[in-house]
Amino acid sequence: MRKIIAVYIAGAALMGFSSPGMTADRPLIDAHIHYSHDAWEGLPPAKAIELLRKTGLKRAFVSSSSDKGTQLLYKEAPDLIVPVLRPYRKRGELGSWMHDNTVIQLLESRLAKYKYAGIGEFHAYGDDVETKVLRSVISLAKKYGIFLHSHSDAAVIHGIFKQNPEARVLWAHSGFTDPGEIRVMLKKYRNLWADLAFREDHAMDGKVDKAWRALFEEFPNRFMIGTDTFAPERWFYVIEHATWSRGWLNDLPNDLAAKIAWRNALTLSDWALKKKSVKN
Amino acid sequence: MRRLLFGPIAGLLFVATTPPAIANGNISFTEIEKAAILSHGPWPPKFRPDPSNRVSGKKSAVTFGRELFRSRFLSRSRRHSCLTCHNPDLAYADGLTRSSAIATVDRNAIALANLRLNRWYGWDGSSDNLWAQSIRPILDPREMNATAGLVAERIRSDVPFSRGYKNVFDSNPKSDDNQKILVNLGKALAAFQETIVTPPSRFDEFRSALENNNLKKIGRYPLAAKRGLKTFIGKGKCNLCHLGPNFTNGEFDDAGVRYFKASGGVDKGRYGGIQNLKKSPYTLLGKFNDNPKNAPGIATQHVARSHQSWGQFRVPSLRNISKTAPFMHDGSVPTLRDVVRHYSELNEERLHLDGSGLLRRLNLSEREISDLVAFLKTL
Repeated sequence: MRKIIAVYIAGAALMGFSSPGMTADRPLIDAHIHYSHDAWEGLPPAKAIELLRKTGLKRAFVSSSSDKGTQLLYKEAPDLIVPVLRPYRKRGELGSWMHDNTVIQLLESRLAKYKYAGIGEFHAYGDDVETKVLRSVISLAKKYGIFLHSHSDAAVIHGIFKQNPEARVLWAHSGFTDPGEIRVMLKKYRNLWADLAFREDHAMDGKVDKAWRALFEEFPNRFMIGTDTFAPERWFYVIEHATWSRGWLNDLPNDLAAKIAWRNALTLSDWALKKKSVKN
Repeated sequence: MRRLLFGPIAGLLFVATTPPAIANGNISFTEIEKAAILSHGPWPPKFRPDPSNRVSGKKSAVTFGRELFRSRFLSRSRRHSCLTCHNPDLAYADGLTRSSAIATVDRNAIALANLRLNRWYGWDGSSDNLWAQSIRPILDPREMNATAGLVAERIRSDVPFSRGYKNVFDSNPKSDDNQKILVNLGKALAAFQETIVTPPSRFDEFRSALENNNLKKIGRYPLAAKRGLKTFIGKGKCNLCHLGPNFTNGEFDDAGVRYFKASGGVDKGRYGGIQNLKKSPYTLLGKFNDNPKNAPGIATQHVARSHQSWGQFRVPSLRNISKTAPFMHDGSVPTLRDVVRHYSELNEERLHLDGSGLLRRLNLSEREISDLVAFLKTL
């Protein structure tokens, strides 16, 4: 396995430096990383951290099924990893977790024991936000002063803010919705951020789409990037994704690019981890 | 059995009407089901020469290509031929998990059949035409490890092959440059491979009987296969990706199969395939295309890497599938029953369902699995 990882790291590094349009030294924060059991089995924590550092990440928001993966990475590099608590014990619970009341106790015990910047990434749609488990998640985030990383439709986002108007929410994949709806949501909720993981409609061939550019300019402090390593093989995509992201970020004014690249994510994580934040 | 929201077929499947059923022994098919079944034929399709290959369909090219296919002459060591990985006795596959010539490669050998129907070639679609795909293993250091110069020199110095070349291409290899010879050899190999067409299957007989309402012949089709067919076009929605007469949409998807390479790292699949395609001199956009007007390579021009294409592999045809084990891009699934079980128990979290929305766990019963296998065996 060591040989496999070595080959991978070398290959990934080469990919990162061979693509045009890259500002290799532009720092990034990847706000959407998972390190689930099948990832750590193939890519041990030290190697995973090595990969993230080679990518040029300042921070990585990590959540895992189970949370053990996140803790393994955080222990390895507390300066790099922003731990986020995922309410899943293992893969395969993303459609059922909100109906499993034992999740509440799981979250309570983990939050009491470890430090987290958020709860998520969790999947929820529509009325799921009214379940006892989701209500508890929202309540726990309020209690601990941490954000929610929600893979959901707009209905759930509305529901979260209805239950706690002061909640801070990172909307995974910007809800996979269009710039128009994202604009409505960002206007309505000042504590809503949006990650751009696993979507590419905002940029093509290093150029930012017109509608998205307007959205970025209107809400410069609210977007962040992310890879989403939803399968272990996706770890091999982190550098490639960073290269792609740097390409389109270069198409934006430098200050705006820096905010989306890392400043917005740092602001959110520093708030959650109670650190002194940079000025945005 | 991947599912893709493919307009016309999806429309056929989801029309909310309940027309009268057509009885077939103990199994009945609705008119909607019948239309879905009929869409998988007729078979075989009419041959249309490849416009990008001026010797496609030419008899002398087929003969010359067949000789090249069998000959070890194209490999540097003279120890390997196309037959090494594409054995006619094994449906032009090799029965191995991952193929092996000079070294073991990362993927399972795709059975060669019905290739004229493809838009893309190889598991990752690195080629947009069959002659380019035929060149690839000649140059791969793990397979034949040759170069354009090496094969050109061998053609020039071998009397029978030199004669065959002149006969097909009306050109003297001594006056053609290395690249031209390599491409021409690819085109002759393609001309031969285009002739490998699977014969009408038991399914095709059933389909034809259904079309003609021949109850006697319909009754000959096994009941288990009929039930499996119903699942294929119904609960399984397998036909949303495995559609049409060749049972494939010809495109790429993530089937929820791991894609680590045995040799280390990951197999980037379609993502790497597009990278290869974009830098290849042997595409329809290049100077070796014999008829850019009729084979303009529009898809090649517009295809682009995406986050989704990482780890995607080509949706294979299901024709002759019972003879081409093991399955998947890396041969990691040994039997047809295992394939069906894979989709039945699919790990959805390995897929990004919001990003693609193609696959769902099928939760099939053991009976449904057996029936689907029975159906697949009739293809």
